[in-house]
Amino acid sequence: MWFYITTILVYGAVDALACLGLNMQFGVAGISNFGFIIFQAAGAYTAAVLSMPPAATSNGGFQQYILGWNLPWPLPWIGAALVGGLIALPFVFLVGKRLRGDFAAVGLLVSAVLLNLLATNYIPFLNGAAGISIVPAPLQSIFDSQGLGYQLAYGGVAILLTIFVYFLLRRITESPYGRSLRAMRDNDVVADSLGKNLRGQRTSILVLGGMVAGLSGGILVGFISLWAPGAWGYAETIVLFAAIIIGGAGNHKGAILGAILVPLGFEEITRFLPPFGSPSLVPALEWVAIGLLIILFLWFRPTGVIPEKRRILSAIVGRAPAVAATGEADASKDNIGAIDDFNFRSVLNTTPVANDHRVILSTQGLTKTFSGVTVVSDVSIAVQQGRLTGMIGPNGAGKSTMMALLAGTLPATSGQIFYDGRDITRVASYKRAQEGLVRTFQLASEFKKLTVLENLVCAIPRQSGDSFLGSLRGRRFWGEQDKNNIERAEEILEGFGLSQYADLYAGGLSGGQRRLVEIMRALLAEPKVLLLDEPMAGVHPNLARKIGNHLTKLVADGMTIVMVEHELSIMDEFCDPVIVLADGKVLAQGTMGELRANSDVVEAYLVG
Amino acid sequence: MSSFGFGLITAAVLAIATVGFTMQFAVTNVLNLAYGSIMINSAYVTYWVNTHGASIWLAMFAGVACGAVVSWFLNRFIYTPFQHKNLIPITLVIVSLGVNLIGTFGLQAIVGGSFVAYKMSQGHEFHILGMLLSGVQLIIFAICAVVLISIHWLLKYTRLGKAMRATSANRNLARNSGVKTQFIISMTWIISGALCGLAGTVFAMNSGVFEATSAEPYIVLLLAAMFLGGPGEPYGAMFGALTIGLATEISAAYIAADYKEVIAFLVLLGMLAFRPFGLFGSEKAL
Amino acid sequence: MLGPKYEVACLAATQEIDKLGGVLGHQINCKTVDTRGDPADAVPAVRQMYATTPNLGFVIGCTSDEASTVVPIFGANNTVSFCMTGESEFDAVKFPYFFRLVPPDAADAVAMVAIAQNKGFKKIALAFGNDAGSQTFVQPAIDGIAKVSGMSVVSNVTLDISATSFQTEAQSIVSAHPDAIMMEALGAAGVALLSEIYQLNGNKMIPVIGTSAMIDPTFFSGVTAAIPTATFIANFDADNAVASSATPAYPLFKKLVLAQSGKVRGVGNFSTLLSANGTVHLYDGVNIAALAMVMSKSTKGAKYKNDILKIANGVPGATVVTSYAQGLAALKAHKKIRYEGVGGLYNFDAFHTSFGAFEDAQYTASGGTASVGTLSASQLSGL
Repeated sequence: MWFYITTILVYGAVDALACLGLNMQFGVAGISNFGFIIFQAAGAYTAAVLSMPPAATSNGGFQQYILGWNLPWPLPWIGAALVGGLIALPFVFLVGKRLRGDFAAVGLLVSAVLLNLLATNYIPFLNGAAGISIVPAPLQSIFDSQGLGYQLAYGGVAILLTIFVYFLLRRITESPYGRSLRAMRDNDVVADSLGKNLRGQRTSILVLGGMVAGLSGGILVGFISLWAPGAWGYAETIVLFAAIIIGGAGNHKGAILGAILVPLGFEEITRFLPPFGSPSLVPALEWVAIGLLIILFLWFRPTGVIPEKRRILSAIVGRAPAVAATGEADASKDNIGAIDDFNFRSVLNTTPVANDHRVILSTQGLTKTFSGVTVVSDVSIAVQQGRLTGMIGPNGAGKSTMMALLAGTLPATSGQIFYDGRDITRVASYKRAQEGLVRTFQLASEFKKLTVLENLVCAIPRQSGDSFLGSLRGRRFWGEQDKNNIERAEEILEGFGLSQYADLYAGGLSGGQRRLVEIMRALLAEPKVLLLDEPMAGVHPNLARKIGNHLTKLVADGMTIVMVEHELSIMDEFCDPVIVLADGKVLAQGTMGELRANSDVVEAYLVG
Repeated sequence: MSSFGFGLITAAVLAIATVGFTMQFAVTNVLNLAYGSIMINSAYVTYWVNTHGASIWLAMFAGVACGAVVSWFLNRFIYTPFQHKNLIPITLVIVSLGVNLIGTFGLQAIVGGSFVAYKMSQGHEFHILGMLLSGVQLIIFAICAVVLISIHWLLKYTRLGKAMRATSANRNLARNSGVKTQFIISMTWIISGALCGLAGTVFAMNSGVFEATSAEPYIVLLLAAMFLGGPGEPYGAMFGALTIGLATEISAAYIAADYKEVIAFLVLLGMLAFRPFGLFGSEKAL
Repeated sequence: MLGPKYEVACLAATQEIDKLGGVLGHQINCKTVDTRGDPADAVPAVRQMYATTPNLGFVIGCTSDEASTVVPIFGANNTVSFCMTGESEFDAVKFPYFFRLVPPDAADAVAMVAIAQNKGFKKIALAFGNDAGSQTFVQPAIDGIAKVSGMSVVSNVTLDISATSFQTEAQSIVSAHPDAIMMEALGAAGVALLSEIYQLNGNKMIPVIGTSAMIDPTFFSGVTAAIPTATFIANFDADNAVASSATPAYPLFKKLVLAQSGKVRGVGNFSTLLSANGTVHLYDGVNIAALAMVMSKSTKGAKYKNDILKIANGVPGATVVTSYAQGLAALKAHKKIRYEGVGGLYNFDAFHTSFGAFEDAQYTASGGTASVGTLSASQLSGL
């Protein structure tokens, strides 16, 4: 009986580790790693060949494998974690920035099948389909590895490691870096535009999850003494996904619960069933049940048994948590009047600079072609520092594409972009954002499963806790600064009269409120040049005007703004100059008064 | 030369399957990873009718109908409702994997783990250009040719086909221009589902014997063929199927048989890494 | 452990033992444990078996899929096990509680060469799956063929058993014009390959020599769906450890096995089990273990495991017994015994493997097997 219990402990710990690692990737960072089992397998093989004696001399030389270094414990486990992490690096090309999430997922799934096939066919590498057997248990020369005490200790160590990993991952998840990861999960293009290095973030989390998976493989192989391709079919990853979806994606406790319910619980409970039907019936029904559970949970309870918890940031700065409005946010309570008295300058840490109206952002022959259709054609514009430049044009004129090109969201087909005298055509968009070139989006782009406050705080640049290493150093390292950042976000939120929504998920706000969150977020990113894509759409006209006034003040203090807007009265009031685009070309440029006198413009846009 | 012939046969089966698969992706933007399980279920429906006395060519229509009905049902009652729920995009891929498990192993639970084969004659053999082909294989070629020409005719010359292309290019624009997109999507799933059912049957015919999990590895070939030609591009799918079919069989002959499918894997990963929009395609507007 | 063939062996043997009053007054019951054929799943399965099975006597039937992980656990628990694995691991490492009633794959491969030699085949094609069980045959087969003058390997194909078509593989074998094909490919691969070779060869079958694993009802029903049964039977031989109806133990075995009809699912025709490797040898294994328990007056593996060797290998002056009843009576009379089972006499070597004798087996029209000749030990040792 006790041996069975120790087995359950070890398998439980291994499954929990795997689920924690995958949850960090999928639930927190939004990387759909359908090849997760590769990393567990890599760890298991590594631990095996590191602890085995050389292949030619051991056990009559009946197996072939590489290495065979005969290393003492814990080196094989450390090696397992390291290789599990290292082997993640080649996969960065799949989860890098440009590939659709589902395509990357398919790529990883296929990689798992391919690597399993290669490990099966190429025998000299890891002994082919037979796998590596008689793997020494850790410290088996000192202890009796089949004794109960040893096995209990093995289970104990495995569980301690799981607990350690749990706290480590939680430390990262709850840091500003974790916030950036979750932002990337909710909307990677937007996170990119706010200066988050997607490739960097994904690489570190792929490596981190790979290390956890590798460790779990090392622990497992030391216990069962064998590792073979049959133990890591691609379908094992689907089981882990089912565990996380059922347990609660994004919540590490949920991941552990999922590990206990699905890979462990499912397998063990069916062992106690009396045998019935043909031998393949029970395993077949198990797979059907896993498929059904995945679909039913995604439909009825997509957040899982233990949903990801909402982070109440306002409590950190000592305010009472915001009133939790239910359902549609109630716009009648919005206190937009406060915006008049609001002082952006102090919140945004800006010191006024004298406007010299030099050209700060310009393009030279900028062109963008999609599938043979030219959307932006040979556009050369010059945006002056300290001005609020408007951009208008009929639908399909290429305005949003222009914004995307300027911010680097889309690469230019040809032409050049200059920012502050430098050619930035090939500079990545997150770097442009870090250098002060920040954009907003025409379509809703809030991070849905981040609270309003989190949406705002995560945009603030230069956070000491917003890096992998920074997050590891813990709250003592970044806590003070983060508190300060939350306070600034609270203030601006109050200025916009939305403090009662501070701790609600941004996805639950009304359309107009989400536009405001987006403007606030862009401002907190401390832009030098701010590219606003229809910021006032859906915002109450009175409030739009007040915001316009503030933008004017910011421009007077040295900010440069380019704004796409349909509402011509806004253009009349605030923008000078205004650029008119039509069919991807610059049609005219000047004050609204001049444009109204231009017959081409009137024909193309103002009338039609 | 003979492996060229087998490559063509593999390609013919793959082309029928990939065209259906890519059409589903084109109109609904879903990678339907349950496609293989619908193929094999259809193959079994054909088998069931076949063992009850119908000739294989008659029974094939039952398999085609099964593919069409199941696919339509899947899109109407599972994929579409999930799309309307507005969950993260990867949800649908996970759902399709779940459906695949249910389809494959549900079938296995019903029919058991043993192999079956159609009752049919392989027909005469023909030596054509140094390739040895059986009568059945020639018929598979003919079916493939008829299917591909019909799809070409459908997309190019019929109102339905034009509406399908419009819907896949831009669903909102198509709807605003008066296309009944919901109806078009349903029609696409019925047609592509029929192709899936047909592909399952000819797949089973060509491999001689099959069981519930036989089509499980097929999804890799499908994906490789689709991505090679560009996801959502029916003509690209035909090209991709031809290339992958030939490449796997020729590499089996000249490199090593047990590594034959590695070429498909590598093509797929290479396309995903460097040209995810296909060999000839280019990126789409946001 | 897994598989109806093994379960029937257990039920048949224990029914007779229990009728005779059990072992030392204990009744023996059979219990199946499903390892799912996955080495990682097997460990908890076996541990659960220990947790839920008091008075575990011994374990029969573990296969290549999981033997490497579970055999050390049996050893640690002092549990005698009779496994059906050809894994070469067990030729190289000694496990005191492990017994193997079937020869290792290397010997199996040599027997295939002997069949080819007897039939006068010269040009041999090899077609083995890329799974663990099948790959172990390849090198011993090549080595054996090299020792027969005039015999040569004309084609050596490794099959990806998860692939969906095998036309090119079939073509490369056909175009090498072999006299015979030696093969082991489980699942769809074996069936698909043979049916495609049949087609490509102008609806004529190339003779095939299979391993003992190719004597399998699923394989038979699959292949005869694609190739006419008579043609297939005439051109298919497999080496099989002797399970002869000529042995004195056979009539009782037959009666007991057929008495299990309907008690185990997934078997189909129970008479096919009468010549099934697993059923025959594990039936003998249960009898040997039970007699060893009686002889050592203990159900503890640590006590009776050495008596298994004595009863199977024989000691000078031992009486040959052919059933549990005979053995029990002889032991009561304080005689030394040697067990001769349905599979003939056993002889465990230092690694507890009994090579036994091989026969050349063919399928019958109903899917059973019939011996068409034995392979002499001297012939085998010369290869």
